[in-house]
Amino acid sequence: MRFNDTVVGVAFIALAAAMIAMTFSFPAFPGQDYGPSLFPRILGAGIIFCSLVLILRDRRAAVAAPWLVMADWVREPRKVASFALMLAAMLFYLFASEPLGFIPCAFLIQIVLFLWFGVRPVTALVVAVGMTALVHWFFSSMMLVPLPRGILDSVL
Amino acid sequence: MHAIETAFRLVFDFQVLGVILASAMFGMFVGAMPGLTATMATALLVPVTFFMAPVPALGAIVTATAMAIFAGDIPAAMLRMPGTPASAAYADESYEMTKKGQLDLCMGTNLVFSVLGGIFGVVVLILLAPVLAEVAINFSSFEYFWLACLGLTCAVFIGTGDPVKGLLSLFVGLAIGCIGIDPAAGQARFTFGNVDLLSGINFIPTLIGMFAVSELLRGAVTLDKGLTMVQQHVGNLLSGIGGVWRKYWKNFFRGSILGTVIGALPGAGADIAAWVSYAVSKKLSKEPEKFGTGHIEGIVDSTSANNAALGGAWIPALVFGIPGDSITAIVIGVLYMKGMNPGPSVFLQTPELIYAVFIIFILANIVMFPLGWAAIKSAKQILRVPRNILLPVILIFCMVGSFAMTNSLYGVVLMVVMGVFGWLLEEHGIPVAPLILGLVLGEMLEQNFMTSMIKADGSFLVFFERPIAGVLGVCTLVIWGFMLWRILPFGRRAQVIPEGEVAPP
Repeated sequence: MRFNDTVVGVAFIALAAAMIAMTFSFPAFPGQDYGPSLFPRILGAGIIFCSLVLILRDRRAAVAAPWLVMADWVREPRKVASFALMLAAMLFYLFASEPLGFIPCAFLIQIVLFLWFGVRPVTALVVAVGMTALVHWFFSSMMLVPLPRGILDSVL
Repeated sequence: MHAIETAFRLVFDFQVLGVILASAMFGMFVGAMPGLTATMATALLVPVTFFMAPVPALGAIVTATAMAIFAGDIPAAMLRMPGTPASAAYADESYEMTKKGQLDLCMGTNLVFSVLGGIFGVVVLILLAPVLAEVAINFSSFEYFWLACLGLTCAVFIGTGDPVKGLLSLFVGLAIGCIGIDPAAGQARFTFGNVDLLSGINFIPTLIGMFAVSELLRGAVTLDKGLTMVQQHVGNLLSGIGGVWRKYWKNFFRGSILGTVIGALPGAGADIAAWVSYAVSKKLSKEPEKFGTGHIEGIVDSTSANNAALGGAWIPALVFGIPGDSITAIVIGVLYMKGMNPGPSVFLQTPELIYAVFIIFILANIVMFPLGWAAIKSAKQILRVPRNILLPVILIFCMVGSFAMTNSLYGVVLMVVMGVFGWLLEEHGIPVAPLILGLVLGEMLEQNFMTSMIKADGSFLVFFERPIAGVLGVCTLVIWGFMLWRILPFGRRAQVIPEGEVAPP
C-alpha cells in the first residue's frame, strides 16, 4: 500500500502543524527566551520543509504517480487475511491478556497463526505448548516480569 | 593496569561466558535466517539483557551482532537471499560462485575474512577510542551540539537512498523524542494528560515495533516464497584460503579500513560499508570484468568491511555517545538504561567496563570461527526451519519483550503502534533507521542545544567561538548547504542512489 508523495507530504504537514499549534500552550518562563516550545517548533518547521520538498518534487515529476498503489499481495485474499491476522493477534493480546492471562493468550495466538500458516496440527500443538511454557518460564520465573496471570491465577 | 585486570575478571566469569556463547548461537541463527536482520536480533535481545549486569548485557549484544553479520553470508551464497542487509552487496557474487561449484571457497573466504575484518575493526576501536576520549573530555555543550548535528546529518546523508525522506524520518524521530518531560525546563509536552506518555516514548518497544513487528507484517504476506538451494554439500572450507590471502591481502586491508571508517561515521553501518567497499573493489580491480560472474575479489573486500564496520561503529558510540549505526543506537539506549551515560567520562569513571567491551569484542570474533564453521556445516538444517513456525514465535517474543520494558501493556501498545507506523513508513520508502537515531539522540541534542542557547544568550556566533566547536560547526553547515543543494528539486530531478538499499539496516 503506497500513497504518492503528495499525500504523504500533506499528512506530515498536518501532523507538524498540530504539533506546532500545541506548543503555544506551553508556559513561557519570565526572563528566559528559550522555553520548552522552541525545539518542537524547529522540528515542526523541519518536517514541513521536507514535506514541501516531497510535494513539490512529486508535482513536478514527468509522470504523475497515482494517488494510491496497492501492493501485489492485496489481490490475494489469503495474504490479506494473513496480514490482518498478524495485526489481530497483537490486538487480541492487548485486550485479552489482562482478563485471560499470558499463558492462554500466547497459546491461542500461536496455535491459530500456526494452523493458518499451514503448520501440521501436531507440530503446531507441540511448538505452541513448548514455546508458551518456555517464554513463561524465562520471563516470569527467571526475569521476574509480572506477566498477567488471568484465569490461571489460582493455579500458578 | 588494575582496570584491565578487573575487566578480565568481569568477562571470564562462568555466567558471562555462558551468555556470550548463547547469544553467539542466537546471532548465528537469526543472521542465517533470511528476513531476520542483525538489528532485529539486537532488538529481541535487549529485553533479555535489560535484566542483566552491564558486562553480560553488552557481551550478548556485541556477540550476537558480530555473528549475525557473518551468518548473513551463508544464505546469500546458498539461496541468493542475504541473511541480513549487510550481505546484500555481494549476495549475487557469492551465489554465482556457488553455481560454479565454489561454495567451499566462498564460505571459507567469508568466514576467515569476516573474523579478520572483525578483529581489525576492534583493534582500531581499542587504539582510537581512548585517544579520542581524552580530546572529548574537554568538550562543552557547544561541541556536543555540533557533534550530534553532524552525526544525525550523516545518518540522513549516507544511510538512505532518498535524502529528503531520510531527513523527514529523522525529524519525526526527534519529534517523537519530544514527547514526555522536556529536558531543560521540566515541562510536560504532548502527553495529553496520559501518565504513561509522561515518562516519554520508551525506546525499546519502539525499536521492537519498528524493526521486528514491521518485519513480521511484511513476512506474513511473503511466507510462501519458495527457497531452492543449489549446492548442499559443504567440503573443506580452508582449502584455497591461503591462495586468496596471498593474492588479495591488499583487498582485505582496504576493505577493513573502509569498513571501519564507514562504520564509525554516524548513521552508516555494516550494510553501507559492504556496498561501498564492493564498489571500490570493482573500480580499483585489475579485472573488473570478472565482477558479478562469481569472482572472489569483491567478496574479500566487502565481507571484511561489514564485520570491520561493527567495531568502527562503537568508536563514536563509546566516546561521544553518538551511535555509528542502528545497532549502536540500541547499545546507547541500553547504556543509558544501565545508568552508564556513554561519553568520554565513562573512560575515566569505569574504564574496566570499556576494557571488558574490548575483550568481549575480541572473544566474539575468535568464537566466530568455530561457531561459523559449525553454522556453515549445518546450514542445511538451519535454513530448513520453516518461517511459518518462526513468525508466530517471534511475535510472542516481541510482545513479552515490550511488556517487560514497562511491566504494563503500555509497552505492547507502543510496540503495535510503532510497528504499524514503521511498516507504513517503509512502504512509502521512508527509512526507519534515522527515526530511531533521532529518538535516541533527541534528548541529548535538545539538552545541549538549550544549554548552549541559554549560555550564548541567543547569539548564534557563540556556537562557533570555541575552536573545536567552530570547526565542527562549519563542517556541519557546509554539509547542510550541500544537502540543501541536492535536496531542492529546482532545475533537475532528484536522483536516487543507485544501490537503492530498501531493506532496513
